[in-house]
This record gives sequence, structure tokens and C-alpha cells, in this order.
Amino acid sequence: MFHTLRMRLLAGSTCALALFPLSLSAQEAVLAMGSAEVGVPNYNPLTAVNTNTAFSMIYDTLVEQDADLTYHPHLATSWEEAPDGKSWTFHLKPGIKFHNGDPLTSATIVEWIDMYRKSENSYMIDNVEKVEAVDDTTFKFVMKNPDPNLLYNLSSSFMAVIDPAVVKKDGENYGITEAIGTGPFKLESFTLGQETVLVRNDDYAWASPLAENQGPPHIAKLTLREIPEDSTAFLELKSGGVDGLLSLPTDYLSEIATQANLAVEKLPGDEVYYMPINVTKEPFTDIKVREAAALAINQDEILKNVFSNYGMAANNMLISALPESKIDPSLLISYNADKANALLDEAGWKKGADGIREKDGKKLTVALWTQSDSVFRRLTEVVQAELKAVGFDPQIQTFDSSVIRDQYKTGNQQLAVRSYNWTNADIIDWFFGGDRLGYPNVSMFNDPKAEELRTKAMTGSATQAERIANFLAYNSYVSGQFPYAPIYQPEKNMAYNKDRLVMPAVIHGGSMSGTVMQDVSVKE
Amino acid sequence: MLSYLIRRLLLLVPVFLAVSAVIFLILHLIPGDPVDNLLRVGSSPAQRAEIEARYGLDRPLVVQYGIWLGDVLRGDLGTSIVTRRPVSQLIGLALPESLKLGGFALLLSSVGGILLGVIAARMRDRWPDRLIMGGVLLGSTLPSFWIGLLLILLFSVQLGWFPVSGARGWDSLVLPVITIGIGGIALVARVTRVAMIDTAGRDFVLLLHAKGLPPERILWRHVLRHAMIPVVTILALRIGWVLGGAVTVEYVFARPGLGSTLIKALNQHDYPVVQACLLMLAIAVLLGTLLGDILQAAMDPRIRESIA
Repeated sequence: MFHTLRMRLLAGSTCALALFPLSLSAQEAVLAMGSAEVGVPNYNPLTAVNTNTAFSMIYDTLVEQDADLTYHPHLATSWEEAPDGKSWTFHLKPGIKFHNGDPLTSATIVEWIDMYRKSENSYMIDNVEKVEAVDDTTFKFVMKNPDPNLLYNLSSSFMAVIDPAVVKKDGENYGITEAIGTGPFKLESFTLGQETVLVRNDDYAWASPLAENQGPPHIAKLTLREIPEDSTAFLELKSGGVDGLLSLPTDYLSEIATQANLAVEKLPGDEVYYMPINVTKEPFTDIKVREAAALAINQDEILKNVFSNYGMAANNMLISALPESKIDPSLLISYNADKANALLDEAGWKKGADGIREKDGKKLTVALWTQSDSVFRRLTEVVQAELKAVGFDPQIQTFDSSVIRDQYKTGNQQLAVRSYNWTNADIIDWFFGGDRLGYPNVSMFNDPKAEELRTKAMTGSATQAERIANFLAYNSYVSGQFPYAPIYQPEKNMAYNKDRLVMPAVIHGGSMSGTVMQDVSVKE
Repeated sequence: MLSYLIRRLLLLVPVFLAVSAVIFLILHLIPGDPVDNLLRVGSSPAQRAEIEARYGLDRPLVVQYGIWLGDVLRGDLGTSIVTRRPVSQLIGLALPESLKLGGFALLLSSVGGILLGVIAARMRDRWPDRLIMGGVLLGSTLPSFWIGLLLILLFSVQLGWFPVSGARGWDSLVLPVITIGIGGIALVARVTRVAMIDTAGRDFVLLLHAKGLPPERILWRHVLRHAMIPVVTILALRIGWVLGGAVTVEYVFARPGLGSTLIKALNQHDYPVVQACLLMLAIAVLLGTLLGDILQAAMDPRIRESIA
């Protein structure tokens, strides 16, 4: 009896081994997405206003960006840009299939781009005239204007490759019950605001070379939960309800250090805190006063006291991973109280008995706007103290984050404390372009020379190198006009349970994308 | 009774119209713009105007209200500006969760609150009463956000009995229901106690005692029945609150629901969703009040007779 039972067990386990060879294990993992990712309404890149991490698991992009923002192949194995920038030729990896079995060919790409042009996100391909299929795996983007930013757009999850036939068939419902991509995971179920359940794409054989594992992912079932409250997400991790948090607020880093089974993986930051200065409002119409306000901000002190040394000081408008952020060191903006005081003296603002400067009987009182979220309130109070130290009298005005944008449109702000998340130099165009005064151009900056440099940077570059050079010039000029003061660059952290997950040695990518997840496995 | 019901229902129509107008106007008058949430880095001012036109946001407010009211009366709640999904679909996802959570919380508050209230009244000024009233004070003053996190720490992290968050199984409902229920229990217990003590001093109760009825029978059959009238009113009024007021609890426990849908839409100025959520809550309050009145009439023969 015992013998037969053992025989059966043995037979059973051999069967199981045959069904699940080692490379295709039955691993399951549950991750919580960051609170900023909560509430994505569907998995349709054509209509998405915001995307979440699951997009990069369900879909692949033609091009992939590494953590250092360099471009790498994914669905496209290689590409060539014409010397005049008027066309790009891409080569697809052969044999790629969508989750429903449809092959991905050049014809699919042509149809996808046609569809994209009619979508709400069409501005991503404004510079593309048309796409031509050269053969089954070769296609050519013919450009209206050279656009070295094409690779950036193609690597974004907004330009994840969809199956046009399915999108057409499903119409408005696409991305809710069904989302068909070529990605390492297939969408099993999606509950709005709650969770997205993904299962492994067993046919996956076209991972980006950035991933070590070129076959199907190790994890067979991946649940991505949406938890809006950070402390709840942390308790889920602590109690084992989830195996990892895709985004851990810095406040919890010290708490993680005390837990033996928890670990943190650092991801490159994509956010910058800055202080826009309204150049159209007295006293900031005077560039000396603007420069003084900018130099009064003590980035290192803020890094240490407000953000416990997590992250890094910012000294220009762009995240430091971008080559366009490498402007001439003399143009970088960093703390210099002596110079700030000297500039204000020069501008005619003399210190009164109470330490507040005055000119023609008027005090240097300025409005400092911020939003009600706690990190902004904390930061703004420090900024206020630092401005006060050189003789400003900043009055903090707090607005709810949902109404502050409308307030900016009035143009009544003088100084403000804000932040943005973006990993491309064109953010300078967004925040300082003369046709977006009020919001997003909170600085109300509209300068003829800047506009000239802006046009050149946005549309006048044929190659990537030219674009970098043009944006360096644009960034340098804008920084020299002091329409803002840079403050701080946070880092991103991912927390996970060491007893459950094995992370890759190096994270290749700006986030825990599908490519990174290729190399994550579960301890069994 | 039937004509009373019809009159009450007809009265709901002008109230509904007034509520809808107030909801619409207040929403559109507060600063903020849903289109801001639809613009991403790189889109042009022309694209902004296009989006505004698509949702009719460029038309006069009165025209927008007329269109919206017309659609609502035809049963069309519109499309969410930010998520682009039909509002009825979003409400359809949120409402059952809110009803489940709110229903159980209401049940817990009524049973627990009435029981504690009766005990407190029965043991008036003795230690059980003091204990219960102390608990009531705590229950009604502690923020539910904090109670929720505390319950998670104890029952999920330490004991591992219930999931920390989510809305997957019935076990995930226990802690949120208790969190909301605690406030309700406190309220109902307080009202019950006061009503019981008040009723116990009435002449008819004295008469019953004089007639020699057993005190327990007087308490449960006569005093409690009488004291239930204000309690039922409070509970009925709480229906609307329980449906929409669970925002923080939904947030802490990462549960879907009308409250969190409303707050999220409010932050994004997603007018159609906010309007629909507020309308749902207004209807819940109106129906709750109506239900309260009907129950009161059913329980109190004097009210029943006066409206017959």
C-alpha cells in the first residue's frame, strides 16, 4: 500500500515536472503599484491619459530605454536614421506574435500608426508623415520634420504596440476586459481601481536584450494591486499580503531598514522640485531680484533637513540623467547667500531694522504659493525661511492641489513651490514656452531669445546630437534668466520581501517595467 | 397611508430638481478645470480647445446644465471626462461595494448600538452605563482613519486573521465594517439610551408599573418600542451618510466605493462623475428620510392616524 502510494506520488511529480519544466515554474507574486499609479481607467495606449506599470508588462515597445536613458532594441532589433533626419528605418525581430496569435509584421505597424494618428495622443507622432512597409520585418518612418525625439516617443508606454485588429473590433471597450499586446504577460482580469491580474505569456521569446532572461518570465501569475494609502501598502508588505511595493515613499525607508525580511531597490529618479519665479510681477521683473531669490535656496540644507539625505540636490531644471542637463557649470544654480545679498543691495533693496529689505518705502514682501500636500507644506516653510535669511518677506499661500492650476492661470503668483515628473528635455518648452503663460508656464516667461532657441530645440534638430546641443543652449539661456530656482531631485525606491522575491543584479530601466520583471523570480 | 406615500414621493421631484441645480452650479463655480488633467507635456493650446469642445465645456453654463439634466432624466449619466468611461459603468462598479459595506455597517450599528443603549439605560448611572458611555465618547470622537489603521495593525499584521486591504473576499469586509460601525454604534447607543430614559419616565410607563406588569416586559415591549422612534429616524438619515461618508475607510482599506469615486473625481474636476455620485447620495438621503418617515408612521399609531 505504502509502496503504491509512493509510486503514485513519484509518477505525479514526474508528470508535474513534464508540465512545468524548470524554466516555466508556477511562481506567483503580488505587487502593489505606487499611489500615483492608482486609477488608470483602461489598458489602451491610444486613449490613455496616464499609464501604469502593467502597460509595460502587457505591451512591448519598439525601443527600450535603460536606467541611464540610453536607447536599446526591443521589438525593433535595430534602426537607422537618415543623415538629414527625414526618415528612420526599423527592423523588427522576426516571429513576434500578439497574445491572440496574430503575427506582428511591418503591415501591423503601418496600420497601428494610422490608427494612432486619429487618436487623442496623436501629437506624439506630429512629425511623422507616414510609415511605409519595406518588407515583412522592415518599415520606414517618413518624417515631415526631422524628430530626434522619435526614439523617446517610441519607447514610451503611450506608444506601446497594439494589435490594430483587436482595437478596431473592441472599440470603446478595448483595454477594459481585453488588452492584446506582445508583452511578457497577458491580461487575465482588470478591476478598475483594485487590481490587474496578469499571466505569463508562455510564447514570449522577444525580450529586450536589456533583460538577461530571453524566454518567458519566471513568474507565472502576477497580480498588481492598487492601494491609494501609503501606510496601508506598507502594512500589506509587512504582513506578507504583497511581495513588493513598486514605489516606496522615502518616509518609510528607515522603517524598512529595521525589518530583516524587507529590502529596497533604488530606481533612477524622474522628478524635480523647483520654485517658479513670475518674471512679470514686481519685484521679479528685475533679473537681479530673481537671481537673488534663486541663490537664496539652499539645496543641500533642504536635501538634509527635509528629505533626510535621500535623493540629490537639483541645480537646473532637468533631472541629472539627461545629457541636456549638463549645462556650463557656471550656469548651474546653487546656494550663494553672499551673492544674493549683494544682488539685492545692487538692486536698491536695503535691509531694514527687522531684517526685511525695503526700497522706496516698500517692503520686499512676496507671495509664495504652494499646495496643501504635506511634503509641499514642509518644503515651502524651509524655502520661506531661506528667502527670509537674505531679506525677502515671503507670505505662504496654500491652495488645494486640485485648484492651484486654475490659480496659476490668473498670473497673480510671485513665487511658488512645485514639482514635475518627466524624463525628457522638452519639459523646458512645456514650462517656459511663451504660448502657455499662467499654466504650465507658471513663471509667465516669454522671452524672444528663448522662443528662438525653443523653436530650434523643438523642431530644428536633425539628429539626436544636434537636439542635445540645441536643448543645452535653450536650457542654458533660460537658466541664466532665472525664471525659476531648482530645489531637489528625489530618488525612486522599490521595496520588496527578500524571503519571497529575487531581484536582478542590475535594474535595466527607469521603473519596474516588463523588461525588469523578466529577471525577477519568486523563491520556492 | 397610500395617498401620504404618493404625496411624499411627488414632493421628491422638486427637491431632486433643486438638488441637481445646486450640485451642478457649485461644481462649475469652484475653481479648477478637468481639461488640465487631460493635457500631457507637449500638447498644444489648440488641442486643449479641441478637448473643451468635445465635452461641451466651451458652452454657457445654463446650456450645459440643460443638456446634463435632459440626459439624466433619460437615464444617461454621461461619460467621465478623465477616465472616458461611461459614468453609469463607474457607478455600477462602486455602488454595490458601497451598499455592501454600508449595509453591514448599518446593521452592526443598529444591533450593537440599540443593545448597548438599552443596557446603559437599564443600568443608568451604574458602572456598565459609565463604561458604555465612555466607550461611546471614544467611538464617536476617534477618527475612523486612525481606528482603521489600528485594527489593521492588530488583526492583520499581528494576528493575521484578516487581509490588510482590498475587496477580494468576505473576510476583507470585516475590518472596514467594524471601522465604520464603531461610529454608528456610538451614535445609536447614545440616542437609544436617552430615548429609553425619557420614555421610562412617561406617565403610561408609570401606569404599566402600577398595573403590576413585570419590569422586564415593560422595558422590552413598551419602553423600547416607544424609544425606537428617534433611533429609526437617526438610522434612516444615516443611510446616505454611510454610502458616501466611508471615503477615508475606503481609502485606508483600498476598497472601491461611491465615496472614493466621488473624492477622486472631485480632485480631477471630473464633472459628470461628481454630479452622478452626488445625485446618488442625494437620492439615498431623500429615500432614507422617506423610509424613516414611513417606519415612524408604521410604529407610531398617532402619526399613522394623523396622515390617514
